[in-house]
Amino acid sequence: MTNPTIVRLTVRNGFGGRRAMILVALPLVLVGLAATFRALLGVDPDATEGVIVGLGILVVLPLVALIAGTSVLAAEIDDGSIVYLLAKPISRHVIVLSKYVVAVTATAAFTVLPIALATAIMTGELKPTLGYVVGALVGGVAYCALFILLSTLTRHAVATGLLYVLVWEGLLGGLLSGVRWLSVGHWAHAVAESIADDGTLSESVGPAYAVIAVAVVTVGALWLAGDRLRSFRLTGDE
Amino acid sequence: MAIPPDPAAARRSVIHDIGYRKYDGPRLGEAYTWRTLYELGARHCFGLGRAARYKVLPMMLLAIMLLPALIIVGVQVMVDIDEQVLPYSRYAVIMQLVISVFVAVQAPALISRDLRYRVITLYLARPLRVDTYVYARVAALATGLLVLTGLPLLLLYAGSLLSGLSPGSETTDLLTGLLGVLILSLMLACVGAVVSAMTTRRGFAIAAIITALVMSYTVGATVQGIADEQGETDVAGYAGLLSPFTLVDGIQVALLDAEASTPEGPPGVAGGLVFLAVALAVVVGSMVLLLWRYRKVAGR
Amino acid sequence: MSQLVLQQVSRWYRNVVAVNDVTMTIGPGVTGLLGPNGAGKSTLIAMMSGFLAPSAGSVTLDGTPVWRHEQLYRQIGLVPEREAAYDNVTGRQFVVANAELQRVPDPGAAAAAAIATVEMLPAQDRRISTYSKGMRQRIKMAAGLVHDPAVLLLDEPFNGMDPRQRMHLIELLRRLGAEGRTVMFSSHILEEVEQVASHIEVLVAGRHAASGDFGAIRRLMTDRPNQYLIRSDDDRQLAGLLIGDPSCRGVALRMDDGLDVEAVDFGRFAVVLPQLARSADIRLLEVKPTDESLESVFAYLVGT
Repeated sequence: MTNPTIVRLTVRNGFGGRRAMILVALPLVLVGLAATFRALLGVDPDATEGVIVGLGILVVLPLVALIAGTSVLAAEIDDGSIVYLLAKPISRHVIVLSKYVVAVTATAAFTVLPIALATAIMTGELKPTLGYVVGALVGGVAYCALFILLSTLTRHAVATGLLYVLVWEGLLGGLLSGVRWLSVGHWAHAVAESIADDGTLSESVGPAYAVIAVAVVTVGALWLAGDRLRSFRLTGDE
Repeated sequence: MAIPPDPAAARRSVIHDIGYRKYDGPRLGEAYTWRTLYELGARHCFGLGRAARYKVLPMMLLAIMLLPALIIVGVQVMVDIDEQVLPYSRYAVIMQLVISVFVAVQAPALISRDLRYRVITLYLARPLRVDTYVYARVAALATGLLVLTGLPLLLLYAGSLLSGLSPGSETTDLLTGLLGVLILSLMLACVGAVVSAMTTRRGFAIAAIITALVMSYTVGATVQGIADEQGETDVAGYAGLLSPFTLVDGIQVALLDAEASTPEGPPGVAGGLVFLAVALAVVVGSMVLLLWRYRKVAGR
Repeated sequence: MSQLVLQQVSRWYRNVVAVNDVTMTIGPGVTGLLGPNGAGKSTLIAMMSGFLAPSAGSVTLDGTPVWRHEQLYRQIGLVPEREAAYDNVTGRQFVVANAELQRVPDPGAAAAAAIATVEMLPAQDRRISTYSKGMRQRIKMAAGLVHDPAVLLLDEPFNGMDPRQRMHLIELLRRLGAEGRTVMFSSHILEEVEQVASHIEVLVAGRHAASGDFGAIRRLMTDRPNQYLIRSDDDRQLAGLLIGDPSCRGVALRMDDGLDVEAVDFGRFAVVLPQLARSADIRLLEVKPTDESLESVFAYLVGT
């Protein structure tokens, strides 16, 4: 269902130089902070919540997913080189899936693993580590699908994704409790909390809803993205 | 077909060159260029002078910035509260998300666009020095940010005067707040410009700026919170250096006696001066980087 | 034999009509799509390559619509005008990648053959970012050819080519056309189209203005006076005789000997000219139509 050539090309073109720098810097900061706190304070639940949830799940995860999700597609659409992928007898859904796999792998490498490491460092326990890894993975899966879909819908995918993460999930999510039913970040946290069971989430939508919502959003977004690519328009310069 | 010209007539005839003419008249100086570029940039910050779809986001953000101030003024006037509802100096820190999105989206629009489409070469083909261009752009961005952050403060001020608060103290608070957002605007403009100038891809610049701003604030807040709980007030205080928002807040708290938005301000006046020095270093350092980058691009 | 059939194709965007009711069939051989800038050539090629849907009408390749039918790309090779190829891979890697995506049985060999065809073998291991514009164009051609397509669509392929590269491209296109492929390219440079295309389609302001061999088109324009260059051993006398005949509308003496004659009645003129010459004992040295060129055809079609 994925095309190895597309995967290879996407990795090559999407993650050169500067992008890789940011993607490496973020988890480094996360793990560095975790290590520092652990060294200075020992096992501290408040510090853990601040770093793992506040920084990891709510900031690093969506940002890395945004960068990864838009790197795999948006730039190619923007400069038109996507035409070389599209003028081929390959199903558009295969193209989307191939790029999705790259985005999720990058998110897993640069967020899920570091979160696992950071949680392990800060708590030294298996349950929260497992919980936050699963939660981050679940969140990353949905975020990447969403941002890939955004790349096919608009040329301003990064700005739009940003508005979603910061304004919808961040600002409004903090103010209105109803937002949690439609917030990927909250779903990730809900899944994490159900396994880690550390009381960091007061009002939760429940892990069952969260998982189903993630599945629906992911499948729906990827299918829609493939469909949009079938109708991709190469406008001439006239 | 053409008849060969009569040789005798050639002596009498004259060819007038009505093509390109050199302009020898008075020229406006570089100051005019700077001013025009600056005005244009400042207007572009809010999408004025560009297509309608580029006005949507900045205007929306401006509206969101003004909303709390409007609400506060409304409440103040109607319920007749006679004390400050929200200190001027805290407004920017509270609304930092909106400000961050603004600089993340508008800095690349002002800076990366020229580099991406190589328009910069057209600018520099004129008698425009690279330095002038850079200063004009950064100043324009800073002005846009100043409008974004200063307008709500003016609104609050008007509301306070209307509801009869003491003009003397309100004015000093306002000036403190304005000074703070001035430094903040400068810092954000510099940082935003540097990041935007390093890449031609607008989307990547947006992601990089917002990542830097959000990460720096979150890390700083986390460190501050933890340090404060542990009683490490000095660490908590200096953690404010990590983010422009908390840095400016620290300056206001330590040097201008404003109300703090963070659990712990910088330790004493000395700490405040350190914060101010760091702010200056950021601004100067960014400008140096920008000038270096643009001189490289210009090949000079 | 692959035929691209456009049936009453129109494309509009809000109230701008880019392509207006175009019907044409592109068959094997080299076809040139000719038109001034803004005539809708790129739009038409985008529709033919499945990257734009017609607002009305249909674009089909051997009966199957091209829009939203990825499998057709097995038979179609596209060489777009603007789109940048990936910058940080080498030419060879780019063509090989395209071959792999086309599911060519032996991508390496096919790529090598395609690169050899466009004469990029010496530069194939350099990064595309180091290529000149003409080199990029050629590597894009190699990528479009690597799967041996029956249909080849090129959007302004001669852009940015120096005269030597242009000659090679002309030779290449001729060869591809002779192999029985359906080759269609767009251009606004008449000399190139004249030398390569056996069949032209003229697009003016979105409308299909003319189609066919340009000589034949010219002869169809019977309401235009034909221009001739005539050299004889007594031009001035011949001029006087010709202007006396109703089939001629204008006669001018050229500086470097010869006559420019404008004939409104081609048939009559062809008969009258030798008669008049013989009657005055004037020897005709050269009779040459001067506007049976693509340029004049084009000028007539566009200039109205």
